[in-house]
Amino acid sequence: MFVFSPPAESDLRSWAPVFALIILSVGFGLAEPKFVSLANLLTIADRSAIPLILSVGMTFVVLQGSIDLSIEGVMATGSLVFAMSVLNSRTELDLGPFGLLAAALAGACLGFVNGTAITWFRVPSFLVTLGIWSVGAGIAMLLSGDQPPLIRDPLLSAMGLGRSLGVPNLFLLSGIVLLIGYVLQNFTRFGRYSLIIGGGEHLARLHGLPVDRYKVLAFTFAGLLSGLAGALESARVGLGHVDIGSGQMLATITAVLVGGTSLNGGRGGVLQSAVGVFTLAVVTNGMIFVGISPYAQQAVYGVLILMAALVTAYSLRASPGIVK
Amino acid sequence: MSDPVLRVDGLHKSFDGVRALDDVSFELYPREVVGLVGENGAGKSTLLNVIAGLLSGDSGQVLVRGHRLPSANISAARAAGVAIVSQEPALLPNITVAENILLGDEAQILRAGLYDWRKLSSIAAAQLAKLSVAIPPLTLTGQLSLRERRLVDIARALAIEERTRQEPIILFDEPTSALDPEGIEIVLGQIEQLRRRASILFVSHRLDEVLRVSDRILVMANGRCVAVRDRRKTDFAELTKLMLGSVLESSVRPLPPVSAQQSAVTLSVRGLVRRNSYSDVSFDLHVGEVLGIAELAGRGADALCRTLFGVFPADSGEIVVHGRRIQLKEPSDAVQLGIGYVPPDRQSEGIVGELGIRENMMLAQCGEIRWGPLIDFGRERKVVKSWIERLRIKTPTADTPAHNLSGGNQQKVVLAKWMIGRKLKILILDRPFRGLDIGATAETMNLVQELARSGLSILLVADTVEELTELSHSIIVMKDGLVADRFSASTVKRPRLQVLERMV
Amino acid sequence: MNCQVALASYIAVIAAISTPAVADRSICAKSEIRLVNSMREIAQPYHANLDKGGRWFASWAGIKNYVLQLNQGDSDKQISLMRLLLTSDARCTVFNVEPNADLVIKPMVDAANRSGAWIVTHWAHNEGLHPFDANDHWIAHIAVDSLAAGVAISRSLVEAMGHTGGIVALQGRLDTDPAQKRFGGLQRVLGNEPTIKLLDQQTANWDRTASFPIMQTWLTKYGKEIRGVWAANDDMALGALQALRAEGLAGKIPVVGVDGIPEAIAAIEKGEMLATVSSDAYYQGSIGLAMGTCVLTGQVPMPASWSSDEREFYLKLVLITKDNAKQYLQEPQPDAYVGEWLCDKLWSRSTGKAF
Repeated sequence: MFVFSPPAESDLRSWAPVFALIILSVGFGLAEPKFVSLANLLTIADRSAIPLILSVGMTFVVLQGSIDLSIEGVMATGSLVFAMSVLNSRTELDLGPFGLLAAALAGACLGFVNGTAITWFRVPSFLVTLGIWSVGAGIAMLLSGDQPPLIRDPLLSAMGLGRSLGVPNLFLLSGIVLLIGYVLQNFTRFGRYSLIIGGGEHLARLHGLPVDRYKVLAFTFAGLLSGLAGALESARVGLGHVDIGSGQMLATITAVLVGGTSLNGGRGGVLQSAVGVFTLAVVTNGMIFVGISPYAQQAVYGVLILMAALVTAYSLRASPGIVK
Repeated sequence: MSDPVLRVDGLHKSFDGVRALDDVSFELYPREVVGLVGENGAGKSTLLNVIAGLLSGDSGQVLVRGHRLPSANISAARAAGVAIVSQEPALLPNITVAENILLGDEAQILRAGLYDWRKLSSIAAAQLAKLSVAIPPLTLTGQLSLRERRLVDIARALAIEERTRQEPIILFDEPTSALDPEGIEIVLGQIEQLRRRASILFVSHRLDEVLRVSDRILVMANGRCVAVRDRRKTDFAELTKLMLGSVLESSVRPLPPVSAQQSAVTLSVRGLVRRNSYSDVSFDLHVGEVLGIAELAGRGADALCRTLFGVFPADSGEIVVHGRRIQLKEPSDAVQLGIGYVPPDRQSEGIVGELGIRENMMLAQCGEIRWGPLIDFGRERKVVKSWIERLRIKTPTADTPAHNLSGGNQQKVVLAKWMIGRKLKILILDRPFRGLDIGATAETMNLVQELARSGLSILLVADTVEELTELSHSIIVMKDGLVADRFSASTVKRPRLQVLERMV
Repeated sequence: MNCQVALASYIAVIAAISTPAVADRSICAKSEIRLVNSMREIAQPYHANLDKGGRWFASWAGIKNYVLQLNQGDSDKQISLMRLLLTSDARCTVFNVEPNADLVIKPMVDAANRSGAWIVTHWAHNEGLHPFDANDHWIAHIAVDSLAAGVAISRSLVEAMGHTGGIVALQGRLDTDPAQKRFGGLQRVLGNEPTIKLLDQQTANWDRTASFPIMQTWLTKYGKEIRGVWAANDDMALGALQALRAEGLAGKIPVVGVDGIPEAIAAIEKGEMLATVSSDAYYQGSIGLAMGTCVLTGQVPMPASWSSDEREFYLKLVLITKDNAKQYLQEPQPDAYVGEWLCDKLWSRSTGKAF
């Protein structure tokens, strides 16, 4: 049946991010052996779960040559919708796992708005998604009111905090999302057309491909995953929170970049972004392990990420062009 | 004779006031190969693009089997069986060959919405097999050589065979350009095979190829269809004459220039090679000399100019300026050495349309009007005014946006930009007379002569042989990137004919 | 009429005319007064309660015009929102300010001085700046002794730990005064505890979503060495608590925080958190408005005539532990504060001069 998947660029240069990850991990491990203990690896896995889910959505958008700056706002909306749909301290609802569905749906709606504004009104993705960020945060604030809803559903809390077969549940969920992303990317028109759109949108339109349709799809998908991520994070920390996604936008874009997906579109993929996510998680976790002072961490984080990005960018070098 | 499978009726197309197609009409019959020839800028590519639906015509119509094709609609054209193989393969580099071949038609390889890669691969392989091409279908397109990409593009065009019930109409736009002899053979062989089941329109600047493959030959010049010939009833010479014919109606030309062979060498080039552009180019350029480069079509001369200006480097060979071997990493290096460049595409590369004349002129020469770190506007105004007068640039003010000027005046602005500074030693003119009317051409020619007389060394790539022979001291003829001949204008009796013979 | 009477009445008239407005005690009518609460956001319970306190006061005092200004963590915005409002009716406006950062205080005080509006500030401000230094429209600064708060919770923590074991500390935003002073309180207490070790400290920027993964990592790194968790605010404490919960350690390791938000008090009652310190958000959100109203209705003399410990004082803090958690669990009634809004009771929670 589907025996092969299509070839990625499997030359040495595209493995650079993986090497960077390995080098960092080994480095931290040598500095502090406990870093590579099973317990810590599972902690890193747990910490990577939400960013992994976000990176899958972002990858498709970036492959097409666009950007989604709205994920924090959409996460906020997802978080509040979820928290208020399940057994909680504010409303009488008790939808259980369907709360996740509600959050994903809410996220998908916001993503859909992103996509249509970009394709119908031809507004750059940068601007539209910036606006939806605020909209999402605003919706969350309205829902949150003055008392954030505390989640009282024990099953969902267990899902958020617990483990199955020794692996954190959220990490398993993110693995499923990653798998779905991989299949979409390599085995569906959505995935392949996203690559095409990023690699040559003009040419794609010239060939009569329904570019706009797939752009809307990508943003809707990203929104869905952001909403879901917000809900899952809420399950973990136990409440619906406007700031639940704080810092994730920059982190996700960094992960996608570091992993080797070009911000210009047309190259990269969900697996590459996953490498980027793990790299960031290793760095943040490793800095604590190694004992880098909190006053210095921001700077050290920046330097390490810069180095990883340079290694990746160097390997992606094409002929001299315009660097924006 | 049966009904034409393709008919073009009174097509007009202009770009920014330049007539690319001027009342073009002709017919293509089933299983026929019609070759389309003409000089650079004659309108051949434009014609194919309009037929294929990539461009819209301003007026006129295209009919396939009697049905009118909607304008600028590729899908409709493809549905009618019209496919184009462009000079630049319209392939996406970051997906597989198979995906490119089936682009837009993936429905046939989807199973429950998922790609059946095996099926995709086999269908693509079948398409490639039609051309006897052995490229693994799942190769990443970006990794292919130019020849391979051409072949894939042809396979992609041919794939419409399976989609339409009728025989396809395939348009080839310079399919053999930049290919090695072996590749050329393969492509021409394909065309010869294809004619058994398709109707073909074939554009090439290589008359020998056209003569070999075509049944009839259409000659275009200045956007018009000037002649149609049966292959058996015409030859090289006649075709050439037809192609360049309009040039023979010349207006008053300036006096021939004075020879300048004895002076010092400003620019020396040895063994310059660049893949797919030019190879083994060597020449010496002297002070006050105009060296003309003739190339009928193709990009070798253009690429050579850009290399000498530092836009992109040669793969090997050396460039010596004023006796010193130099490396040009970017254009500013060239400017520092006193090299100026007037590009052929004036609108996008010569002037900055939105900026005024004054700013355009000063683009390369801030040093002249500086006062410490600031621009001395007073001096700038004076300099600009004097140049407008000197070159007789017709403009209401010095700040008129450059894109409002006529082509000829724009060209003067571009020239002024380079001439303002005192550093200029070598000026590269790449088809500077393109799009200029007779009067503007004459004025510009005078300017060029004046510049040469004042000691500037000039490299001139011209569109027409006339321009070359009237202005140059020496002439280099390039064909497909190689220097086919080099001679001094004054030593040859009939320079024009010599050039023509070498060019084709 | 003889000359002395004429002269006396002449002098009396002059005196009456030239008496400064200060003697005229009632400046604004209640209907003219505008109350403003300026704070960071409304999503956190602390801020939500600031706002609630302010609204309760306005409703009790019969003042309809209540404005809430949110700056979402943007200092420039906090200042410009104030300036915007002052373009109209500055004279009868009272600002009660929870500063986003110490540096906003001076610009806001300047704006008040210039426009004639009135301002009461909380928490902390820059060095060398005081209400009593000719800042006549800066009614008061109600300081919170963050050092004392830090000391209080740290003492509770080390006692619960039996004066032995390892502590991990979650700091607030490192560039803010509360964060620095509270951590200073911990350091001071630990200075006297040789058998307690500070294993690690990180900043989670007041945010529970940040403190959760940090706590997770610490649990992996230090494991059983952790015998106490110190957090500079309740939100971070609760995030750490969640991480403990995941490992089944909730209630087994004492956790302390600051703010006194309902969720934390509930956790204390349950035994999962050990202690927190409350500055009483309802009080903070209302007392400044009460002071301003008393000034504007002439019921107290102008601030310029107050003593310096009436202009700048420390707010009484409450240490909440299991012993008294129950009484703070419920949302208080507005009536509970009425007594302290009265113009002669305005300093009832002062513990003395600040700084």
